[in-house]
Amino acid sequence: MRITVGKGSCGIAAGADAVFDTLKGKAPCPVAVTGCIGTCHLEPIVSVDDGETLQTYVKVDEKGAGEIVKMLNGEENRAADYRRDLDCGSNRIALRNCGIINPESIDEYIAKDGYEAVKKCFSMSPEQVIEEIKISGLRGRGGAGFPTWFKWRAARDSAGDKKYVICNADEGDPGAFMDRAIIEGDPHAVIEGMIAAAFAIGADEGIVYVRAEYPLAIVRLGKALEQARKKGFLGENPFGSDFSFDISVKAGAGAFVCGEETALIASLEGERGMPRLKPPFPAQKGYRKKPSNINNVETYANVPWIIRNGGKAFASIGTEDSKGSKVFALTGKIANGGLAEVPMGCTVRDVVYKFGGGVRGGKELKAVQLGGPSGGCIPKGLTDVEIDYKSLAATGAIMGSGGMVVMDEDTCMVDMARFFLDFTCKESCGKCTHCRIGNKRMLEILERICGGGGKNGDIELLTELGEEIKAGSLCALGQTAPNPVLTTIRYFRNEYEEHINEKRCAARQCKPLLAYSVDKEKCMGCAVCARKCPGGAIAGTVRSAHSIDAEKCVKCGNCADVCKFGAINVK
Amino acid sequence: MEKIKLTVNGKEITADGGKSILEIARGADIEIPALCHDGRTEVYGSCGLCAVEIEGVSRLFRACSTYAADGMVIKTDTERVRKNRKVALELLLSDHTGDCKPPCSLACPAGTDCQGYARLIADGDYRGAWDLIREKIPFPASIGRVCPRPCEEACRRQLAEEPMAIADLKKFAGDYFGAASPPPKKASPPTGKKAAVIGGGPGGLSAAYYLRLKGHDVTVFDMMPEAGGMLRYGIPEYRLPKDILRRETDLIVQAGVNIKTGVKVGRDVTLGELRGQYDAVIVAVGAWNSTGLRCPGEGLGGVIGGIDFLRGVAENRPVSIGAKIAVIGGGNTAMDACRTAKRLGAKEVCVVYRRTRGEMPAEELEIAEAEEEGINFRYLAAPVEVIGENGKAKAIRLQIMELGEPDKSGRRAPVPIPGKEEILPIDTVISAIGQKPDLSGFEEIEKTGRGTVFADERTFATNLTGVFAVGDATNKGADIAVSAIGEGGKCAEIADAFLSGGDVFLKTPYLVKSEKTAADFADVAKRPRVKPKYRPAAQRARDFKEINETVSEEEARKEAARCLECGCGDYYGCKLIKYAGEYEVRPERFGGTARRHKVPEDDHPEIIRNPEKCILCGLCVRICDEVEGISALGFCGRGFDTVVKPAFDKRLRDTECNSCGKCAEACPTGAIMAKSALFNGQSAQHDL
Repeated sequence: MRITVGKGSCGIAAGADAVFDTLKGKAPCPVAVTGCIGTCHLEPIVSVDDGETLQTYVKVDEKGAGEIVKMLNGEENRAADYRRDLDCGSNRIALRNCGIINPESIDEYIAKDGYEAVKKCFSMSPEQVIEEIKISGLRGRGGAGFPTWFKWRAARDSAGDKKYVICNADEGDPGAFMDRAIIEGDPHAVIEGMIAAAFAIGADEGIVYVRAEYPLAIVRLGKALEQARKKGFLGENPFGSDFSFDISVKAGAGAFVCGEETALIASLEGERGMPRLKPPFPAQKGYRKKPSNINNVETYANVPWIIRNGGKAFASIGTEDSKGSKVFALTGKIANGGLAEVPMGCTVRDVVYKFGGGVRGGKELKAVQLGGPSGGCIPKGLTDVEIDYKSLAATGAIMGSGGMVVMDEDTCMVDMARFFLDFTCKESCGKCTHCRIGNKRMLEILERICGGGGKNGDIELLTELGEEIKAGSLCALGQTAPNPVLTTIRYFRNEYEEHINEKRCAARQCKPLLAYSVDKEKCMGCAVCARKCPGGAIAGTVRSAHSIDAEKCVKCGNCADVCKFGAINVK
Repeated sequence: MEKIKLTVNGKEITADGGKSILEIARGADIEIPALCHDGRTEVYGSCGLCAVEIEGVSRLFRACSTYAADGMVIKTDTERVRKNRKVALELLLSDHTGDCKPPCSLACPAGTDCQGYARLIADGDYRGAWDLIREKIPFPASIGRVCPRPCEEACRRQLAEEPMAIADLKKFAGDYFGAASPPPKKASPPTGKKAAVIGGGPGGLSAAYYLRLKGHDVTVFDMMPEAGGMLRYGIPEYRLPKDILRRETDLIVQAGVNIKTGVKVGRDVTLGELRGQYDAVIVAVGAWNSTGLRCPGEGLGGVIGGIDFLRGVAENRPVSIGAKIAVIGGGNTAMDACRTAKRLGAKEVCVVYRRTRGEMPAEELEIAEAEEEGINFRYLAAPVEVIGENGKAKAIRLQIMELGEPDKSGRRAPVPIPGKEEILPIDTVISAIGQKPDLSGFEEIEKTGRGTVFADERTFATNLTGVFAVGDATNKGADIAVSAIGEGGKCAEIADAFLSGGDVFLKTPYLVKSEKTAADFADVAKRPRVKPKYRPAAQRARDFKEINETVSEEEARKEAARCLECGCGDYYGCKLIKYAGEYEVRPERFGGTARRHKVPEDDHPEIIRNPEKCILCGLCVRICDEVEGISALGFCGRGFDTVVKPAFDKRLRDTECNSCGKCAEACPTGAIMAKSALFNGQSAQHDL
């Protein structure tokens, strides 16, 4: 008998610490920690494993924890109220251990065939390891989707005794948390993947560049590294090989652009996090000017599975263009937010409806933003597109690192594009002219449009600027920053036109464009709205229709919220 | 080194391998613009200007960092590339604030570099100042005396207290060498082309002089006995002594211009003959006819045109005007006429003007001088009839006016008060209400509705091939001398291109300009403007000697040092503005805000910084780090708000800076400058 409590960041945020403490003190069996299993919206999640069956309890609060204790003690209980069978998808690869094992226990990882891949590597030649990755068809999961074997091969072929393996854990897209969940839930998978990469390219030093905003990930990673060293998997001659390798952790200060590999290297070196020109590529001249291989967390987490099961097994999943599975972080107006690891080739619609349970509150799906601020939006009509690097790119969106922001009918697409561009403007390093000033000018135009100052020609100006920024920027941040604007213009041009020509925001998100008025027929003169109006804009006598002074109205929407008669018109 | 072959813009090039496209192209004299590139530092790739296309690849490449490979086909000047570069320049300029050129220079019709020569005078380099003025105005001493000073109206020093005395500085520089003037600039080698200039006034002589400097054989034909035009025959001696003018026209002859006086086109030679004998003809005949009074009695004896009157006096012809004089009009000619009449001994001189003093077009200074000299002014009155006796004028009947609504010029229009009239007894009426050209002999040339020569505004071309026209005789008619000089200089450029078989026209180059208010100069220490010494009014009104003195050397240097130096010290070295001109940018289409900083950042004894002009090419930061091994400057902030400055907000002087000046030298704009190089030399260059 064993109890596990999901204590990823999502679980802790939902109150898992208190649940854990309650169970720990009272349960008649060991209570362990695990990471996020993916259904973040159901946290805190408690699993009870009696050796034969595994039962899960969701949204467990302290009271629920008490009920579980009662159940375990054979007392009368209401634990069944919290019972829910979870379907987190079968055949998970990157997330295979997340939410299942205790991330702080190397033995639990080993029990799941952990470090078998490393052992296997040492029986292969580095070339054979690279070949296996090549057969798998694994492509970088951080966003660009570059073939992993190619990077490894280039780093292996670069001359030099000193080489580095770097793990990019600077997950920065708003609404993306795949990498955090993997490190928090299964840090050894990443470490094992890095060891395999180091063996393949001939590196003796590894660094995980992780954002400082992921304190739990940093702690768990540190513990895992310590355990791996103790077991002799890191350090001198693991498994009796003549190979030596160790990994250190570097916390990044939270600049989005440091997810770009050359900026990441600059930051590691203590320089300002600014991308530089390629070539030379990091595989030729990377950290400290030495050949360096940089992969993302999820990419490394896939590697042990591939080595153990063979590249062919991985390649048998997915489509012609894209192999294996991909983890997506579902956020926005989704019913069930969380992580979904799905085989390549399934549709965006499947992810939203099967894993995400559709749009929150039963509203209409409008669009899905893929790839965060660098990506693009896919309108509802195109959500049957297969998840595949090529097919997604054809829509104007990108696979990206896996952020999937769901938007419903109440989302203003112009405002959404403005939001993402505001993010990239703040995160631009300021180096390239096109990105630094161009995106700022685009943002100013969008702000103007959302503020009611849209002018004829703005759409064309945005399109022109967007295209030139993409062509003229040095790194992926600038090259992709205009995507949210360009794809919303492509699929929702009518919304831009409404904002510009009619000064109207159909989704009622752009406040300056809204006009509040009272429907005289419906108004009962209850005066509730007048009392709730912060600007004193509503006047009228009790039991007769009220009116709103447009000059004084601050467009807060309180009146519409409190009116019981639906008498407030918003246009 | 392995050799590679590649094609750049259709040109086959063999080059050493391992080099960037930029290096190879530049080695083959193919210009690819770049602002952040400097061979001394590692490639950086921030400016985005060096974009090129490589055949077979859809995206653009940065030439500075793309290594050329054997067989590459590169295009550096396609429409796509130019568009991307243009957008980059427009974006940079949308966040680049300041003043390329100072307001004084922009206000000068001849584009004189006032800031430049003020600095040279302040530094005691009078020869430099003289040369610099003469790049645009061949008559510094004359124009310094007569110019109504549009430069001073634009001068920002008035936001602190009073405008600079720019014209007095010009007069000082023009007079400094006196009769011992340095020789004029040497003309370019002979081109074998001949040009005729009709009219030896300021416009014609300027055109002739600058065309001559280009190496052409230039002959000026003037109908009068001596060259100088209105400067000689319109401006009275007391404002511009004629020996001073002669000194300056002599220099034009010294430069190699032939001047044939006493030749009038249409009388002594025809335009057709000149066109046959010369490769180009520039018409600069001025506006020598006075406009009539357009009222009954205008033909009576004793009614004379202002121009004719002044010309007669200048020619030393006996002019008898009597004791009571009325001068009609409120312009500078009216002022010259009334003061000349006074000097000729008239007892009572009255200027009759239909509006009030505030609306008078004459320069304020000249009105004041006339008042001092005892001239009477009858405002709000217009002649409706000259009353005669025995064919000679003896009085004028004046309609009294009041000011009504503003008219097209923005001034309040004079409106007659019905029935209100006055009679003003006079001996002579001088009509100074306007002037027009005498275009007899130029019948073939197309005219405007105003009866002036129609000349294209961008090329000065007339309807006749090879015939250009400038000055008072053209388009909107008479204007101030420096306008004619400006047109003459520009026309010389155009005519030179025409003679060389080229085709150019005037462009209005993009310039960065800013608006300033008094608040911007609140910290400027107040220093009063120099006032040249005037002879007492009563004394000067009796003779034709010059009314005031040239400021002394000490005064001039002090005055010149008042200049706020509004124009960018790096205008002539600025790569950004050079490319902006080449790509015909329109940065205003993006709108948007520019970064604001404290400027200038004057925190170092030898280096001055202006972050509002910084384009973040990073050259200063990189040179300091990579070449000097010092990191006195670095990037602070992120994205659009990034700024180059010393770390921890230190003053530059408190960093490890070794004052090597390499940052200033490498800066492609005026964002970092060595104080010593601010205006010496650079600003003294010519920018025709």
